[in-house]
Amino acid sequence: MIILDSLLMGGLRFVLEKLAAAVEAELDDDGVLREELLAAQMRLELGEIDDTEFRRIEADLLERIGEIRERRRGEETPRGSLRVTGAEVTFEGEESEHRDDGGKTRARRRR
Amino acid sequence: MAERRARGAGAEPPIFRFFGGKGGAGKTTLAAAAALAAAERGREVLVVSTDPAHSLGDALQLRLGGHPRRVPTRRGVLRAAEVNADLAVARWMGARRPALRAIALRGTLLDGADVDRLLRLSLPGVDELMGLLEVMRLARVRPYDEVVVDTAPTGHTLRLLRMPPMLERLAVVLDGLYAKHRFLRLQLGGDDRPDASDALIAALEDEAGALQTLLRDRARARLTWITLPEMLSLRESEDAIRALDGLGIAVERIVINRLTRAARPGCPSCAARSGVERGMVATRSEALRHRLTSVVAARDREPRGPGALRALARELAAGDTAADLAPPRRAPALRPAAPAAEARESPLWLGALSPPGTRLLLVLGKGGVGKSTCAATVALAAARRLASSRGRRPDVLLLSTDPAHSLGDVLDAPVDHEARSIRGAPRALHVRELDAERAFRHERARYLAAADALLGSAGDRGGLGTVHDRAALRSLLELAPPGLDELFGMLGIVDALLARPGRPARYGLVVVDSAPTGHALRLLGLPDTALAWVRALLAILLRYRRVIRLGALARDLVALSQDLRQFRALLHDGTATRAVVVTRPGRLPRLETERLMASLRARGIGISGIIVNAMTPETAAACRSCRAAARAEAGELAALGGHARGRRRHAIWRTPALTAPPRGHEALAAWGRRWTRALA
Repeated sequence: MIILDSLLMGGLRFVLEKLAAAVEAELDDDGVLREELLAAQMRLELGEIDDTEFRRIEADLLERIGEIRERRRGEETPRGSLRVTGAEVTFEGEESEHRDDGGKTRARRRR
Repeated sequence: MAERRARGAGAEPPIFRFFGGKGGAGKTTLAAAAALAAAERGREVLVVSTDPAHSLGDALQLRLGGHPRRVPTRRGVLRAAEVNADLAVARWMGARRPALRAIALRGTLLDGADVDRLLRLSLPGVDELMGLLEVMRLARVRPYDEVVVDTAPTGHTLRLLRMPPMLERLAVVLDGLYAKHRFLRLQLGGDDRPDASDALIAALEDEAGALQTLLRDRARARLTWITLPEMLSLRESEDAIRALDGLGIAVERIVINRLTRAARPGCPSCAARSGVERGMVATRSEALRHRLTSVVAARDREPRGPGALRALARELAAGDTAADLAPPRRAPALRPAAPAAEARESPLWLGALSPPGTRLLLVLGKGGVGKSTCAATVALAAARRLASSRGRRPDVLLLSTDPAHSLGDVLDAPVDHEARSIRGAPRALHVRELDAERAFRHERARYLAAADALLGSAGDRGGLGTVHDRAALRSLLELAPPGLDELFGMLGIVDALLARPGRPARYGLVVVDSAPTGHALRLLGLPDTALAWVRALLAILLRYRRVIRLGALARDLVALSQDLRQFRALLHDGTATRAVVVTRPGRLPRLETERLMASLRARGIGISGIIVNAMTPETAAACRSCRAAARAEAGELAALGGHARGRRRHAIWRTPALTAPPRGHEALAAWGRRWTRALA
């Protein structure tokens, strides 16, 4: 039962996080790229990547962040044709403390 | 085991006698004397040191370790040990690791590899956390009548005595982590008998409670506070006793140690010293005055060996001898510092101890040898050197990282947590006494947020834990954790020395007035320990970055990791970082100094010189005692010189003892001009 509990919650949480991430990626992509940059810095500190590798990632991410800014300044119109507009999630069973999870709430409210 | 006879039913639990005081006040020698005397009254006694820089073995003239060994006595039984904190932690953790691991696995979303990695890391404040627990463990092994505890110098002893509430709150946090598991276990019709983890939490709670009760029980725990008849020692003792009162720990007796005997006829040195000492003692505040006070007279030779220890114990046990402390009839004229001709040049020793290019000057040594006085003198000279040179004028910071500060008293000026200049002293000098608890309170909100991010369950993105009771986590962070002094000491140095994005380094040179040896060495080892923690946390954040946002915690950790690497490089750069070792011309200080120098070499930290502080001046008019003292000091100096000449030569500088130690920046500068090269 404990396994079931954690599987259920873990699985659900995973799906919701993915959805929330997709929504966010679309809404605020330069924030996501900034997190990528931070993650690269962390990997550099941990010695998982070396300086050269870090600089390559950094240059790439900075360029993409720059592009996004350019695009935003250039066009006021909505970008792209594909867009996540919402996600509906239902599940059976008792609600647990995880229901207040921010990511999920967000995914649900954008219907 | 035959030796391990259990305490019989109805046997009295042992009495614990703690010996506390400023470094160098004579804690170890008097603790050894008291323990020997108690044993020879026919009792079974354990004497144990909790100072990470042990010298109990030196005082007993025996090689000691973590296991008590028998000390020869005429009667009774005496065993002695020096707590080895690392071994004690390994033992403590070894027995409890499975239960702790289970709590972490069931109470957080961390997996086995993460938990193991975190449990393997060492804690910087472990001496204080383990000290008391290890003393209690050793005390249980045999049916001791008395346990005598030789503690670390003031600041860290206060931390040690504050451990029980910390332990109690730790138990509450673990309990909170484990609550969900317990709830599920019960809901699912499982067994509601306590498991190993429950037992661990309960044992921690019990132990914390028992320690707290013991420390406040005047019949079972007694604290003897030792001070020297010197201003710095008296002021530090007054502060400490106020803090102990706040903790509800009773000070049974004050010992004024090494009081110069009533002037020997015809000796001007003895007469002057005795007058100054009595004048100082007369200024002691109410905190010290209204307590049982014993006086132990200064010896011509350091008390060594059982005979000398027995004689000391007799004086120690004498009733209230404070009546001997009548103030001198005429107030002693505190000889003003010689108004030496204004020296334009820097003293010779400055270029040797802190050559140009030095960024971090660590003033290290045993407690009570005069680190603060020497550090202030060096910093003043360095600031004056800057003021007289042209060009850029980066400031000099004199930073005290000893939780029991003395810089304000030495400089006779207000000094606190904020760096400030000293009235009348060179403007290039800033002085700061680091207040780790204040710094911690200031940063607490950030740590709480970080703890929530890692473990908390609320918040809009969730965390790795399922802590129901976040109040428990908060209450844990309300107490200053062990190792705080070293952590903020290190961060204070980093902040003063390293350039930051958008600003250059604050100071060109930082002179550190450090805590006594054991804790100073811990600070120097901290960058490695801290880096291991930062990396473990970074790795965990990276692994779970889909669940918890990297955010502010990750940015803080990356910045800290960069700082630590930079600081570590600076620490091992022989041009940028230099250690000045301060000692006194006595046997116990010399032995500790030799160990300190070996530790510094092992850590790759360069030594720029040794200061042998407060040598008795040899004057023709001196009495036999003064001449004997001067001869003994010369012998110790020669022995130290032999050691210092070993593989690498270190210059030794000697400073003259003054009747009253120098106070205020002018007196310090004048005193500094009288330092000379020894054994050149």
